[in-house]
Amino acid sequence: MAEPRSTEAHATKKRPYVYVFGALAAVTALELNVGILGLAHDLQVAALLMMATLKASLVAAYYMHLRYEPRWLILIPFGGLALVAVLVAALMGAGL
Amino acid sequence: MAHGGETGHAEEGHHFTIWPLVAGFGAAIAYAGLVSGLTVLGLGILVFVVGVLGWLRDDLRSPSRAFFGFLEAEPGVVRVSARKLATWMFLATEIMFFTAIIGGSWALRVKTSDWAGPGEILNVPLTGLNTFFLIVSSLTMVEALASIERGDVKRLRLFLLATFALGAVFLSIQAYEYTKLFFEEGLTFASAPHGVSPVYGSTFYLQTGVHGAHVTGGVLALAFATAKAFKGGFTKENHEAVELIGLYWHFVDVVWIFLFTIVYLI
Repeated sequence: MAEPRSTEAHATKKRPYVYVFGALAAVTALELNVGILGLAHDLQVAALLMMATLKASLVAAYYMHLRYEPRWLILIPFGGLALVAVLVAALMGAGL
Repeated sequence: MAHGGETGHAEEGHHFTIWPLVAGFGAAIAYAGLVSGLTVLGLGILVFVVGVLGWLRDDLRSPSRAFFGFLEAEPGVVRVSARKLATWMFLATEIMFFTAIIGGSWALRVKTSDWAGPGEILNVPLTGLNTFFLIVSSLTMVEALASIERGDVKRLRLFLLATFALGAVFLSIQAYEYTKLFFEEGLTFASAPHGVSPVYGSTFYLQTGVHGAHVTGGVLALAFATAKAFKGGFTKENHEAVELIGLYWHFVDVVWIFLFTIVYLI
């Protein structure tokens, strides 16, 4: 059975899974000790959310293989995220 | 279905199984029960579960070869597996679902005075450890996939078993936390300690409970995949279920990454 090239690439390329794990563990450790950054509360919240987004992006790109899939595939989860944008806009409009 | 795939032909072996049909009927009856009442709903759920179990048993007994070979979503046009595309579409709906749960809880929080500070009621270190376990389980999951892509069945079994075990550990720690919070600390659906608003407990159990239900589903799927792997059901050529279960499992991890930050750290 002839497999498409992207699947062949899965098997032959070396994937940096352990390095990604290292980054995830390090960021998690930082999140748990975010106090050492000495940030004001609002900045700290923003920093934590950015760290969460970074971790999520690493998992999506490398573990869920989005980095190696056809470019347009990422539009599908981003379609779901579009709802996040709508919700945030609606909540902010409602004064939240 | 017009697509035969590159090598797939129905003649490659009979894979007819009645169980998906049974599961479909069960789901239909369950939906009817949502309107007509609990008895019908219960019956529908029962038939659905029986259908799914029968299907899994059939698959474990005679592990299916890829029926249509590599099934492109649209041959020559959409060069991605149809099943993988469908899985991603399902995950997009899950993103919307969790956005509603977490977003709604956040909206309630913003409007509520008397909220607890981080670590005031919840056990952040223990849950931080639990977060670490879940991240490790994502690593073992992707290594399981990488193993079977190389044809290494032994490592596939090892990593699938590890992923399953880590998922079970995550759930156990959550259950322990729930018990402690609910029965000892006074964090229930309708009350919270230290004069904190009851909305705190209510939204806590909603968000983490819904996530926990998803983890449970993932653990069950992993149990099936592990059993199938040990029966030699996955090969270098046919292992799509490992990839798709993996996608779901990583998604559950991603949701927890945000949940842990929003519920425990902020």
